Amino acid sequence: MITDSPRFEPFSPDPHAVISESGEWIAPFDLDLDDDTLRGMYRNLVLARLIDERLVRLQRLGKTSFVAPGAGHEGAQVGIAHAIEIGRDWLYPYYRDTGLVAAIGWPLEKLFGQMLATRADPARGRQMPAHPGSRALNVFTVASPIASHVPPAVGTALSQKIAGKGDVTVCTFGDGATSEGDWHAGVNFAGAQGAPIVFACENNRYAISVDLNHQTGSGGIAAKAHAYGMPGYLVDGMDVLACYYVMREVVANAREGLGPALVEMAVYRYGPHSSADDDSRYRPAEEVAAWRLRDPIARLRRFLERRSLWGDEAEEGLRSEIAGELDEAVAAAEAAGPQDVDTLFEDVFAELPAHLERQRERYRLARRAAGEDG
Amino acid sequence: MAVQTFVQTVARTLMQEMRRDDRVVVLGQDVGKRGGVFLATEGLFDAFGPDRVIDTPLSEAAIIGAAIGMAVHGLRPVAEVQFSDYVFPGFDQLVSQAAKLRYRSGGSFHAPMVVRMPAGGGVKGGHHHSQNPETHFVHTPGLQVVYPSTPRDAQGTLRTAMRGEDPVVFLEPKRLYRAVKEEVSDDPDATLPVGKGVLRREGDDVVLISYGASMAETVQAAAALAQQGIEADVIDLRWLLPWDEELVLERVARVGRVVLVSEAPRTANLVSEVAATIAEEILDMLEAPPVRVTGFDTPYPYAQDRAYLPGVNRILYAVQQVLEY
Ligand SMILES: Cc1ncc(C[n+]2csc(CCOP(=O)(O)OP(=O)(O)O)c2C)c(N)n1
Repeated sequence: MITDSPRFEPFSPDPHAVISESGEWIAPFDLDLDDDTLRGMYRNLVLARLIDERLVRLQRLGKTSFVAPGAGHEGAQVGIAHAIEIGRDWLYPYYRDTGLVAAIGWPLEKLFGQMLATRADPARGRQMPAHPGSRALNVFTVASPIASHVPPAVGTALSQKIAGKGDVTVCTFGDGATSEGDWHAGVNFAGAQGAPIVFACENNRYAISVDLNHQTGSGGIAAKAHAYGMPGYLVDGMDVLACYYVMREVVANAREGLGPALVEMAVYRYGPHSSADDDSRYRPAEEVAAWRLRDPIARLRRFLERRSLWGDEAEEGLRSEIAGELDEAVAAAEAAGPQDVDTLFEDVFAELPAHLERQRERYRLARRAAGEDG
Repeated sequence: MAVQTFVQTVARTLMQEMRRDDRVVVLGQDVGKRGGVFLATEGLFDAFGPDRVIDTPLSEAAIIGAAIGMAVHGLRPVAEVQFSDYVFPGFDQLVSQAAKLRYRSGGSFHAPMVVRMPAGGGVKGGHHHSQNPETHFVHTPGLQVVYPSTPRDAQGTLRTAMRGEDPVVFLEPKRLYRAVKEEVSDDPDATLPVGKGVLRREGDDVVLISYGASMAETVQAAAALAQQGIEADVIDLRWLLPWDEELVLERVARVGRVVLVSEAPRTANLVSEVAATIAEEILDMLEAPPVRVTGFDTPYPYAQDRAYLPGVNRILYAVQQVLEY
């Protein structure tokens, strides 16, 4: 699939886009994706959006405790997903990347198992919702502390470099993450070593309530790449194809040993920061409405429709098909049942040490004394 | 008298102190327009503007480090770390700079500042929104550590911390933020002494010692014991460094039986220090070995959120053990 990449200019003043708001192809190179691939990208955009909507419903029903809405980020996430080799390359995502892990094919039953912390969760219910991870797909398990995954991502990239097989790492984060010391430590190290890594920033202009101008004096994120000796690209994150093509180019460069890159994807978060947030306290409704008009899903749909690759019937069919898949996945995740209490003592170390065994035993006795189960 | 929740009292006390002393500034993530993610700084931005209520970039090192620099230059910063779990990117600033500043400069520099942070579990937040990191701080000479459990204590200890001359880590039990309302003083100078605990309940059969979020379960356990005719003395330490040795030793010597409750992990828990001190000082007054009821030595789990906490049943089990000894 990966053919000769078109060349994008780093540090461009305007974001790179390849399709216009009205869905015309505007890039100076030819589209080289077949119809099925284009429809597959569209499917992943819709999948991400519908998962988001489902999670909000599950949260309102009290079935999950937390949602980090990804609506508005789908173009960036799906663009990234299609630009890597799944199962070969490594991903270091962050908590807003549900759409990304779904797009690379993480089974939906596991995804919802994680969200509901049932036994369908491969991480055994250890983490709060929106913290996926998959050993099989080389997706590093998400940690809440912002930017703490950046230096580890660089370490994985350095070992890929040592292994010399041309594998790469993609590390994603929000704009706020670029203020943390860990972010700078990691990006600097990657630059110094020429590590095969792409840092992909989903810049939605807010870190909870703090807007970009209070986050940094740089004006944007791509500019920061200058300081670390790597190219920085600004991309229209509402244009999934632009995200895909820029990512494809920098991933190919990293594979060939040309070193790291930073890609800033200009997106917007349509929902609140999380189910615990009230975004009306800090951003005007008109701003949200204006970005809604730039919806990445509608944009690709217009593009497909111009090429007669999509229409109302296909849309309806897709949405009901995905809804059915989500029903099934949620049902399966729920049917797996809750985690056992005692498993909380496992996985601290390779072997259960004596002191934890004592704590577990004592806890069992206390439960028995209180007439509780188990 | 105002009747307020814990978190409302924090906001009101900050407001009053900022009015009284224009050297006080507040800085942290989302503390401005948003009023803090828990609304602990609600109203401050409108009242004092962006010079005194600073929405910072997402960097705890910048927040805590800048607070130190402000403090040595004459301001009285109150830094907010959004969750105590996120103090670690700023830990170096607290441990290497703030804590040692007075000592390493022979007293020529010092940093009067407060670092506030919501702590504790029971909110379905997983390990990065639930931890109790107080051991790290009490183990760092040069930091004062407070972990109040009630609105009134929050008011008095926060004001004392803000008026003090040393860096204070101010832990707030987030699961009690809105759990109770109580009357808080209208006196804008209401303070509570450094290092003093408080007796929440008096009894002759056993002493229960706790602090912070676990006070809720400890007080509930005492009530459950009273139903069985067992009267517990209940001590809320409030200040963890320095902690109230005098109160603890006096009450435990009188009763002879003690259970210590803390939801931080067991190993090197502050209550282990309290228990060791009891053993060293008044062993001959004890009728039974001190028993600790703590969080487990595991990361804080998500699925077993409540199970991790030293709940009422675990406390009662420990009490039974010291009574039957
Ligand atoms: C070290 C650390 N500090 C604070 C937080 C609390 N927090 C969670 S998300 C967030 C904002 C992150 O913003 P950004 O990186 O821009 O990503 P976005 O959520 O906008 O996608 C903050 C401050 C955290 N998770 N980790």
